[in-house]
Amino acid sequence: MKFRKLMMVLPVFLVVLSIVIAPTFAQSPVIKVGILGPFTGPAASVGTEQLNWAKLAVSDFNDATGWTVELVEADTQLDPAIAVTASESLIADADVYGVVGPAGSQEVAAVGQMFADASLAHISGSATDPSLTQGDFNTFFRTVPTDAVQGPSDANFIYNVLGLTKLYVIDDQSSYSAGLADQAEEAFIAAGGEIIGRESVTQDDGDFSSLVTAIDASGAEAIFFPGQIASQGALVARQIVEQGSDLVLVGADGFQNIDDFIIGSAGAAEGAYVSSFAPDVRGVASSAEIMNRYIEQYDDKFTSFGPPTYAATLVILEAIQRASDAGSLSREAVLAEVAATDQELSVLGIPIAFDENGDVLGASFYMFQVVDGAFVLVPSATAMPEPEATEEG
Amino acid sequence: MDTFLAQLPQQIINGLTLGAVYALIALGYSMVYGVLQLLNFAHGDVYMIGAFIGYGVMVALIPDGAPLIAPVFIIILMLLLAMLGCGLLGVAIEQFAYRPLRNSPRLAPLISALGVSFFLQNAVQLTLTAEFRNYQTELLIPPGAGFDFGDTRLPMTRALVIVVTIILMIVLQYLVRRTKLGKAMRAVAIDREAAAMMGVDVDRVIVATFFIGSALAGAAGVLTGVVFTRVWHFMGFTAGLKGFTAAVVGGIGNIPGAMLGGFLLGLTESFAVGFISPTYRDAIAFIVLVIVLLVRPRGLLGARIPQKV
Repeated sequence: MKFRKLMMVLPVFLVVLSIVIAPTFAQSPVIKVGILGPFTGPAASVGTEQLNWAKLAVSDFNDATGWTVELVEADTQLDPAIAVTASESLIADADVYGVVGPAGSQEVAAVGQMFADASLAHISGSATDPSLTQGDFNTFFRTVPTDAVQGPSDANFIYNVLGLTKLYVIDDQSSYSAGLADQAEEAFIAAGGEIIGRESVTQDDGDFSSLVTAIDASGAEAIFFPGQIASQGALVARQIVEQGSDLVLVGADGFQNIDDFIIGSAGAAEGAYVSSFAPDVRGVASSAEIMNRYIEQYDDKFTSFGPPTYAATLVILEAIQRASDAGSLSREAVLAEVAATDQELSVLGIPIAFDENGDVLGASFYMFQVVDGAFVLVPSATAMPEPEATEEG
Repeated sequence: MDTFLAQLPQQIINGLTLGAVYALIALGYSMVYGVLQLLNFAHGDVYMIGAFIGYGVMVALIPDGAPLIAPVFIIILMLLLAMLGCGLLGVAIEQFAYRPLRNSPRLAPLISALGVSFFLQNAVQLTLTAEFRNYQTELLIPPGAGFDFGDTRLPMTRALVIVVTIILMIVLQYLVRRTKLGKAMRAVAIDREAAAMMGVDVDRVIVATFFIGSALAGAAGVLTGVVFTRVWHFMGFTAGLKGFTAAVVGGIGNIPGAMLGGFLLGLTESFAVGFISPTYRDAIAFIVLVIVLLVRPRGLLGARIPQKV
């Protein structure tokens, strides 16, 4: 009788024991990487592109190393207030060892201190406002160059390469846009050009017809509009065509999106120029494999807006790996590893290393033109190199 | 002066297009206020829903970049379905949010209206996400189509907006001035109790008012989508605010006033952008309106209903 009872209890006991012991034999601890971006809202198309590249980076890393890192998505809708809430939830999650983003400079400005206080490294693949790396955000890095370079390079392109001397500058009142517009304005005047007007619109504006009419009548030859919302760029382009004007539209990285800018303008964006913080990955031979995986899993409509996020995600993942291999997986250790990053070759075709402020070394701006419904690199404007580190913000 | 004159006709066209949309929204505010003395703050969001309905119809009828039926019919269908849908939505709002508060202090339905507004915005955001949608107007109306008058160009899309708005306003005027329902609406606006005593079915009139006002907002939503293409869950906020302002400036409760106020606001905005500065567009437009109200506190065409003590 006693033996029978024992035989019945024993398997149950063993099962319970194994469940209790199992965690100690479990795999490596849960590792998560957060991503902050505008996945919905006015900049949803560029945000989604960044998200897809980040997902690809995580899955490439997981495949290569056998780890199971999880990507935690946090939508900010390009709104600093929402970015703060989203960041709080990422910071509060102890399994998050690094964050990609935020995407917009105004969002980084809102959350940079929170990340610095939490010693949580965050790398942005698109925030270009120079002031972000000149302050106290000592956990902020970026894989793209700053507007201190983009402003002058865009202005010089318009003046020297396009030969247009009368420029109208518009910004959308975000810190990125106003800053870049200021830089470009200064550089354009220094190059010898004339600024016909400088105005701002808001990111909510849906109608630019009166503005385009006014600019057309003012004698300006080109519009420089470094806005964050590509669909606004499309609206401006539409108005230019609808009103039969021959103004040349030059935008910045915020406009680089096929869906919103090219398709959204119904062909009106044809001939417009857009400057970008990364080369077109299609022209980087060493990234062909990565690119083909992206096209397989997502689509062919990516621009140069997404790949820097792939690079940023990989930097975090490799930093986490190095910290873990060294035996101390913590946010501080990951932060130190990110700062010490020395990637020989990234998806952008250049090595990735950061200076003491968090800016990437050796990156440059590229000018694209919309030709036949695609962004085509303008050869004469490539590689305006990053100036020495003493550039002011 | 040269640039001023050169731009003037084009800015007038821009202003009239904007003004048409504002006027349609303002009409809804004015009609409801006239009949119920209620400011329907949810009206701007009914306009937003109208834009989404139009978008849905467009997507359904243009599955792969090729319209299934002639563009003219698609546009008519978009307008009709949006007007119908928004009309019914307006009736539903009245039924659930305002009717139970008919005899409450004036503040209660106002708060209720705000609540409906938040509800609609968030309902759309939760179901359809905060992503911006774009009307593919280019598939219905070629972007270059329009009429040229010298240097000035009247694009087809804008001509459509202005023409449709004028048609709707003529129909509305006819309805209000020449039909029995219109007479009943005017009666209720003057004195609800007396109208009831005269045999007017006040409830029916109120329902009809909400239906018509909301249908006009729905039409405004579709027209906005056609010209300005971007549609998103929060678009009703600014448009509603401006429509309400236009209604007040024209004389709240006054239908021709709402039309006038709407066009005036649209022209003021366009001129502010074109001749002064786009940065201060809203500030300038509202300053002008403040001035109008200071000079004529009852609005341009004055309130038709004397205030009761």
